[in-house]
Amino acid sequence: MKRAPYNHPETAELSGPRYWRSLDDLSQSPEFLAQVEREFGPEASEMNEVDRRHFFKIMAASFAIGGLGFAGCRRPESHILPHSKMPEHQIPGQALYYATGFPLRGETLPLLIETHTGRPTKVEGNADHPGYKGGTTRKAQAAILDLYDPDRATAHTKGGSKISNADVNDLLASLNKKYAASNGKGVAVLAESSSSPTRLRLKKAFLKAFPQATWAEYDAIDASNAGIAAAKVTGNDKLQPKYDLSKASRILAVDADFLDEEQGSVQFSKQFAEGRRVRSSKDAMNRLYSVESNFSITGAMADHRKRLASSQMVSFLAAVALELDLGVEGNALNSVLSPLASKLDAETQEWAAKCADDLAQHKGESLVFVGQHLSPEAHALGLLVNEKLGNLKKTVSLVSIDNGKTASIQDLASSIEAGSVSSLVILGGNPVYNAPAGIDFSALLEQVGEVVRLGYYADETSEKSTYHITQAHFLEAWGDGRTYGGDVVAQQPMILPLFDGVSEIEVLARLVGEANPDGYSLVYATFQAAKGTPGKRAFEAFLNEGFTADGYRVSNSNVSGLELANLLKGFKAPAAPSKDSLEVRFLNDASVDDGRFANNGWLQECPDPMTKLTWDNAIIVSPKFAKDLGIVAPDSAIQVARKNPNKVRDGRQFASVATIKVDGREVTGAIHIQPGLDNYTVVLPLGYGRTKTGRVGTGSGFSAYAIRSAAAFVTNATLALTGAEYQLASTQEHWSMEGRAIVREGNLEDYEADKDFVSKMGMESHSPAIYAGAEDMPLQEKVSETPRGGSIYEHPDLTGIHQWGMSIDLNVCTGCNSCVIACQSENNIPIVGRDQVRRGREMHWIRLDRYFSSGAKDNTEIPENPQASLQPIACMHCETAPCETVCPVNATVHDEEGLNAMAYNRCIGTRYCANNCPYKVRRFNFFDYQQRELDKLYMGPLAPKGMPELVQMAQNPDVSVRMRGVMEKCTFCVQRINQAKIAQQAKAGDGGDVRVRDGAIKVACEQACPTDAIVFGDLKDANSRVSQLRENERSYSLLGYLNTRPRTTFMARIRNPNPEMPDYYEMPLSKKEYKAKAPKGASHDSHGSHDEDHHDSHSDTAEGGHH
Amino acid sequence: MSKVFPKWSNALPLKIVVFIFVFVTTLLAGITYYVTPNYVRVGYEPTQPVPYDHSFHVGELGLDCRYCHDSVDQSDVANIPAADTCMKCHSMIKTDSDLLAPIRESYATGDPVAWKRVHEVPDYVYFSHQAHVTRGVSCVECHGQVNEMEVVSHAEPMSMSWCLDCHRHPEEVLRPVDQVFNLDWVHPGGKQGQIKDGLKFVEERNITPPQSCTGCHR
Repeated sequence: MKRAPYNHPETAELSGPRYWRSLDDLSQSPEFLAQVEREFGPEASEMNEVDRRHFFKIMAASFAIGGLGFAGCRRPESHILPHSKMPEHQIPGQALYYATGFPLRGETLPLLIETHTGRPTKVEGNADHPGYKGGTTRKAQAAILDLYDPDRATAHTKGGSKISNADVNDLLASLNKKYAASNGKGVAVLAESSSSPTRLRLKKAFLKAFPQATWAEYDAIDASNAGIAAAKVTGNDKLQPKYDLSKASRILAVDADFLDEEQGSVQFSKQFAEGRRVRSSKDAMNRLYSVESNFSITGAMADHRKRLASSQMVSFLAAVALELDLGVEGNALNSVLSPLASKLDAETQEWAAKCADDLAQHKGESLVFVGQHLSPEAHALGLLVNEKLGNLKKTVSLVSIDNGKTASIQDLASSIEAGSVSSLVILGGNPVYNAPAGIDFSALLEQVGEVVRLGYYADETSEKSTYHITQAHFLEAWGDGRTYGGDVVAQQPMILPLFDGVSEIEVLARLVGEANPDGYSLVYATFQAAKGTPGKRAFEAFLNEGFTADGYRVSNSNVSGLELANLLKGFKAPAAPSKDSLEVRFLNDASVDDGRFANNGWLQECPDPMTKLTWDNAIIVSPKFAKDLGIVAPDSAIQVARKNPNKVRDGRQFASVATIKVDGREVTGAIHIQPGLDNYTVVLPLGYGRTKTGRVGTGSGFSAYAIRSAAAFVTNATLALTGAEYQLASTQEHWSMEGRAIVREGNLEDYEADKDFVSKMGMESHSPAIYAGAEDMPLQEKVSETPRGGSIYEHPDLTGIHQWGMSIDLNVCTGCNSCVIACQSENNIPIVGRDQVRRGREMHWIRLDRYFSSGAKDNTEIPENPQASLQPIACMHCETAPCETVCPVNATVHDEEGLNAMAYNRCIGTRYCANNCPYKVRRFNFFDYQQRELDKLYMGPLAPKGMPELVQMAQNPDVSVRMRGVMEKCTFCVQRINQAKIAQQAKAGDGGDVRVRDGAIKVACEQACPTDAIVFGDLKDANSRVSQLRENERSYSLLGYLNTRPRTTFMARIRNPNPEMPDYYEMPLSKKEYKAKAPKGASHDSHGSHDEDHHDSHSDTAEGGHH
Repeated sequence: MSKVFPKWSNALPLKIVVFIFVFVTTLLAGITYYVTPNYVRVGYEPTQPVPYDHSFHVGELGLDCRYCHDSVDQSDVANIPAADTCMKCHSMIKTDSDLLAPIRESYATGDPVAWKRVHEVPDYVYFSHQAHVTRGVSCVECHGQVNEMEVVSHAEPMSMSWCLDCHRHPEEVLRPVDQVFNLDWVHPGGKQGQIKDGLKFVEERNITPPQSCTGCHR
């Protein structure tokens, strides 16, 4: 990868039918002109016998329409186009919500979709589902943008030329006819895994109709090993482990990022957060151990974290198992487990032993969570450990899931090589791009006579296929799916297919010979069959609710230790990776997944939760290995006087480019140094380097699939620098808090010993906000009176009925970024592109700051094994906002209810406010990001202007679309506040009950949060959740000593380490750094500590302020 | 050297000053009068595709506003009725009127009738009909006596200062909630009575019309 400026490919004219005509278009269309004529009566259309009067009439009308006439110097004419017949339930101007589900591999996330006049605009979680409780992932939130992607496939094609829906139907019917005679000999289907009961029903019908056919399934992000392991140790090949964190007080995550990457992550996040929502020091709190090779957000949440290569996880689990009472199978198991465990170093063995002790003390309420990508051996061992800990049917259940007879992509490849496949139907996926490195799928496709491909994008696979059938987006099609726990979720279309797409189940139904299948009937039939024909009403209730409780059947099977011993006998534990024999771990990317979301701008620009990289993937290496290579982390150079000046040009940091070689294959990419990685594990996020995708995804990163054989990690790799450089686009380069009390943390024991430890940190302890004698005023009065003593500054006039505030609980925030995308979708926030992110111009209103701390006093070296702290930051809506005093045009002012308002029309773009904001939350529109193509920003008026119509449809009509030159920032979702207030007022009518009920407003970030870390509400209501949280002893204001009085407060993070562990820490490392930087002799009990920057000059002023 | 500037040039500076003064004053006066919503909006009366007569349907027949504009008390938007609303009556009465041809065609084909927009606030203004009509602000305050209009015309300037006038003095317009859609209602006690009752309504209903940006701009 050479260092190159960001080049979007030449963009093709958008093709496809026009689905939504703007008035401008309409005014040029002949139909509209025809309407104009009609307006003047039928005779006006007789242009042949035109008389003078008619001529003038028509000309006047045409001029008026064309905007040429002045019509008395008035504004241009516009029109209102009402429906011809009013659709049921629709009220113009009011959003309508429908339940549906977001399908991704083996899980479907229950959702509610906000639609405006039949146009879906926002994804929300379905709060009624007991497991998911309204949480969503960033990928689900971004689905709206995929629906309106101007680069999506717009037509069915055969060899590049367009074919009609009827042609597609004929094609599928002919396939059915052709293979019915031969019992399916020669036909094969390659699909992705799916949780849909209807697809399963049709798959079974397919295999019944074509018993000789091959049905293969392939996921680039594979989760099948758990099932393989369960089959081995129970003898039942339908069983799969399902985890439940709600009853787990001790959790060991073995290379498992269950808060983000694993299936069921939303449900796990909810359950995990419930165990950590401490309100007082007496509340019980769960404890999370994490062993991992990558640094995931689960690792960042862990109380104890161990870095270990993925290839060593079986050994680690063996070490844990050896500490437990293995009962009668003990002898057989010991002989296989001991050699495995002995591969670990002594420190890791001790870590495993102490951890196992803690788990064993919590029998039945502990859990060992094995990462989905790990080998069957690891999963089998995990099951054994869980059984011995008494966790089966408590925190982990073996459930029976029948997925029908399924071949693998390797089976399919060998069938094709043997010449026994003449027709291949590829349903979704993108095997040409992401098949395992050993399989040249593109070459294989050439050996197949006829390849029919159903795909959402015309991508790499479509290019190699005979037919491309355009797939309907899940928001355009009927379907169903299952949640992690097995509940059936309805998938309803929100809009008719924009480009005549068809769904997977419709294609499949035609393939098995149904003449006129429609999605609705297919789903209905499945529902009827499963529920014992309860009829239409029950189905409608199901659609209304969005899901129906229908958990998987829990099996009573036991784990056979002897079978496990047999399995492990053949297992050879690989040696720990080293400098010359690296382990490469392939990661389901946080943004683009396996590559399917590569053309989604929101996801591309959403920073990776841990690396904070956008728009590209990178070769992620540990600081230790980087040192071996002789490269310096760009971030550390910021602090330590530019160690390597060659890496800095034009004030920008460049990353080294390297090549990784494994098994004779190689891939080249930029290096990003990430602390917390196993020393010799190199992490490669998948999903980038697409060769045929849209404007957004082209030229983004490199494809790690090039060196990936089936497993999620490979060993024996080598890495060499190429000497080239590349500038990565990162949203946070600096990683240290510099010993300041920004994220406040304490151990559970500290908290028990001193419940007010939070307020003794930071400058506030001796320079608190100046309330001038009113410190003890109740919160409800404080927020409306804003006492400021004798200050000469104007007091904000906070007379409103409500006083809005927000509380963010850092103890449960996982840093997953769902809120970032939810906010982007709700508030019409543009993407700015890689080049602008490099310049620090990203527009996200909420950002997740990620800090590393090592406990060391000087942060000159990027630490190898740090703790991470994450903190969401959006506009704090300070009561005494520094931005307001510097605005020369009063564009940012306070409203009566405590919102820091931003009047875009007044803003002249001086950016003083952004400079004066201590939280750096204001975002400036340097360009007309909404109206301009991102690669033509610098062309000024020469570039084409205007937002693609498809993208216009994704905008929230309740929020202004901002233009160039104005400042913007979090508004506390003022549109939702106003809607709730208006709804309450309408309800009140001529009564006076206009106070909005607590919980009636859920701001976008709060709604999306999978851990309910964000709570928004009215501070003037003493009983509101936010008031209660703000009064909690864990609450603190960020930089409160500046007297800004932020309306958003944070709740300190509590860690729960185990004193028995070898890596026990007496205080969180960030607190240790904070204390280390405080001056000697400072009494923390009397007035807390000092900020590093202030300790020279503070004593007089700060003390003076205090007394 | 005496002839370089003729004598009349002595008066020139004064003339220039007077000219500039007159010019600027005229220009300012012109702009103030012609470029404000008061001039460009008030009186706007476009010809609609179907000459629907409010004075007949509302004034004479006594249709309620909400028969057609049925979302006015449920939504920000007061809808223009769909063609099927017209057809509720006009499938039985005046079924072959030429004037109604666009309605019948829309009803038959599904294509919308392109009504001309009379009242329009800029895109960055989020006005809610629901918030006003459910709390006792009548249609007439912004739209004028529509029940007497043969052709709907723009009655009020709808400028921001005009909005704020009312938000600062809501007592001048608040009326009993059941009289909101009665466009002929005036307070029996005249202006004095209106203000007296208005203040009572402000108190009883907890009316706090927003005067800050966030009230209307999002």
